[in-house]
Amino acid sequence: MDMLTYEETKEQALKRKELTERLKELIVERLDLDIEPELITDDQPIFGRGLGLDSIDALELFVAIEDEFNVTVFDDNIEVFSSINKLADYIVENQEE
Amino acid sequence: MFSGEELAVVTGASRGIGRAIAIDLARRGVTTVLTYVANEEEMGKTLQQIEELGGRAHAYQVDVSVEKEVQQFFRNIKKHHGNVNILVNNSGITKDGFLPLMSSTKWDDVLNVNLRGTYLCTREAVKQMMVQKKGAIVNIASTSGISGTSGQTNYAASKGGMIAFTKSIAQEAASYQIRANAVAPGFIETDMTKSMDQQTLKQMINLIPLQRLGKPKEVAKMVSFLSSNDASYITGKVFTVDGGLING
Repeated sequence: MDMLTYEETKEQALKRKELTERLKELIVERLDLDIEPELITDDQPIFGRGLGLDSIDALELFVAIEDEFNVTVFDDNIEVFSSINKLADYIVENQEE
Repeated sequence: MFSGEELAVVTGASRGIGRAIAIDLARRGVTTVLTYVANEEEMGKTLQQIEELGGRAHAYQVDVSVEKEVQQFFRNIKKHHGNVNILVNNSGITKDGFLPLMSSTKWDDVLNVNLRGTYLCTREAVKQMMVQKKGAIVNIASTSGISGTSGQTNYAASKGGMIAFTKSIAQEAASYQIRANAVAPGFIETDMTKSMDQQTLKQMINLIPLQRLGKPKEVAKMVSFLSSNDASYITGKVFTVDGGLING
């Protein structure tokens, strides 16, 4: 694996931060949640015990993510919603230009 | 009927009923995105007819039964034309035969284009419609899918499946103001009926109360109506356009 320069590492970290922040905003905006996006942590479960979202919320979020990031999520890989970090990883791996 | 802002996808629009639907929507001001599988020449004729009417149309070569092709097609639409408002699942094939002699290839081919194609195109279109919180889906079924036809177990099963699919997605997507209906044509003047045994066709015409075959544009008018806001309170229903052939 190639070593990244300090600048490259910094750039990647910034991009990642932008993506996770956008995901939190997206969840709050599209699901009309009454919380501040920054209160969602990167490792907090998004569904179930986490934000208390249901399957209809999951559907809305699938559609919103495809609309914004051009990434398709099916219900057989719903584990990507286990946290913001997992979701961010999935988007980076599957995004098509 | 339409505001002129609508974007409609019509699958299998190079000939027959699909062509008539594309032309009817385009002449009412809807921008049409059309698919064809192989017949580029016939697709060109559809595009030319729409252009002559001052309508807007774009054509893409898509096999609706191939998941990757359908996904890419809908991504291209979004990128180049915007979100889809109207979807007409019209692509359809027949491979008739008596069941004891019907190969699984014949069965799969018909089910793949007619039913799987409807599932794939609707799945992709509905996501774009959900974002806009509006949309209309019209599935072109067949009277075969309601009353059955000897020699068409595969086709009738696919069309009956399309009807059940339509009723289900109508319920599922209603809260997003997306409507879904099916149109079931009877015997219509198309290449499909031209390829039928002419003696059988004559016998069939005798059974039609209006005593003639239907014209593709007579189906198209029903599709345009169901796609438009004029049908704003109609969803999950099947409309036969068959000259009175079947009951129901």
